Amino acid sequence: MRPFHPSYIITALGQIIPFLWVTLATMAGTVFFGSLAGLMLARAKVRRRPLSRALANVYIYMTRCIPSIVLLFIIYYGLPELLLAFGININGFDKAFFVITTFSVLFAANMAEVFRSAYEAIDPGQREAALSAGLSEWEAFFRILLPQCVTVALPNFANALVNLMKEGSLAYTIGMVDVMGKGQLMIGMNNGSYSLEIYLALAILYWALTIVLEKGFGYVEKRLSSGKRTAAA
Amino acid sequence: MLEIRNVHKSFGDNEILKGVDLKVEKGDIIVILGPSGSGKTTLLRCINFLERAEKGTMDFDDIHTEFKTASRHQINAIRKRTGFVFQNYNLFANKTALQNVTEGLTVARKVPKQEADARAREALDRVGLSDRYDYYPSQLSGGQQQRVGIARAIAVNPEVILFDEPTSALDPELVGEVLNVMKALARDGATMIVVTHEMGFAQDVASRVVFMSEGTVVEQGAPKEIFRAPKDPRTAQFLRRILRDDYEYSI
Ligand SMILES: Nc1ncnc2c1ncn2[C@@H]1O[C@H](COP(=O)(O)OP(=O)(O)OP(=O)(O)O)[C@@H](O)[C@H]1O
Ligand SMILES: [Mg+2]
Repeated sequence: MRPFHPSYIITALGQIIPFLWVTLATMAGTVFFGSLAGLMLARAKVRRRPLSRALANVYIYMTRCIPSIVLLFIIYYGLPELLLAFGININGFDKAFFVITTFSVLFAANMAEVFRSAYEAIDPGQREAALSAGLSEWEAFFRILLPQCVTVALPNFANALVNLMKEGSLAYTIGMVDVMGKGQLMIGMNNGSYSLEIYLALAILYWALTIVLEKGFGYVEKRLSSGKRTAAA
Repeated sequence: MLEIRNVHKSFGDNEILKGVDLKVEKGDIIVILGPSGSGKTTLLRCINFLERAEKGTMDFDDIHTEFKTASRHQINAIRKRTGFVFQNYNLFANKTALQNVTEGLTVARKVPKQEADARAREALDRVGLSDRYDYYPSQLSGGQQQRVGIARAIAVNPEVILFDEPTSALDPELVGEVLNVMKALARDGATMIVVTHEMGFAQDVASRVVFMSEGTVVEQGAPKEIFRAPKDPRTAQFLRRILRDDYEYSI
């Protein structure tokens, strides 16, 4: 076995960091599509229409029981086949497409629960007060309910985001070159040497990302709730 | 000014309002009394279309509508001419006292912000909260929150204000401040429909007392008539019980 070279951690970081944008961009895409779908699922759950509600529940249950790596492969190999049956060819699509699709599907289920519990934490009386003040349903939702939902949902959202970041590292298994993928490539090119240094570099990177995310969300949370609690009682 | 006829409302198989009629003239202070579950809250909520009654008509000035088929446009017009004060205040938790009051002006009625602020301050002054404009609901006592609720309802110059047990969620020592605000409104000529268990308020302020039981209006009349000589045995029994409780409570 080769000796441990701490200095190679820095070298590895230098080569991996240029791929950080891939990791961040797939996360951003996932958050965007996943949250949108999550919002629709949550809406289906809180409105008491039996059919759409049952469908949302089935969706959430099924996606929750499936390991992300399994779903990733199912979508990577299955989706092109499925769409081909409808005459749509997506075989040439970027790997990121399959990664974002997979993790959006999973993220949506998480977000559905986050949004639903946030929405249910807000007293429905405020909606009624807004309506009787003459606001429309949309105005009541966007001006009164949503801002409060966001405040309530933020800690859970931050959690889900950190989870997404960690799970997202599985994207290398279908060959996407994000930070994890680049690390794997480097290990392969070195015939397995320096793998410990490279994994440590990755750990440091994910660790730093988590800190940035948590501090960022902590700051926003504090901003949103300032004034409301500080001088209370 | 406001007349509703034959209002029916059920929840599932449970008929809560069984043909209620109510007529309100400008300047009236109508106090609705009745045992728990008699449908008082439901009636107010139907008038504001927070619940949809399945039968009955409403005349509100020039608006004539059926509860069942009222259009979004009509509902909005009716809501804009009424104020609603809730038992649990239902203040917007993400807005200051002032913003709670301006919301209905700037957003729903497109009043320019400057004018809305001025009107909101005036409304808050009227309920004695000149020093609390920028407080959030969580920073206010129950009595203060309810007074913000009242300011929010009056700032839009509603033709009639609906109160659903405005003091029943309050600690006893805070009830007085809210009742005083309501009395002042009554003196200034506001039209009000008030559901309450405050018999003193009913006796002193009401121009008419309406007694409800099991989804119908059992009897109505001047407070003197109702309190001294109730005609219906159900009214008499209710008053006996509640006045005795009040008496026991006060010693
Ligand atoms: N959303 C609802 N779904 C089902 N039943 C309801 C609903 N709202 C009210 N009810 C029922 O309607 C009946 C009348 O309720 P309402 O709140 O109008 O009574 P109330 O006269 O205001 O009583 P209280 O003095 O206790 O406030 C009650 O039996 C209640 O259980
Ligand atoms: Mg009630």
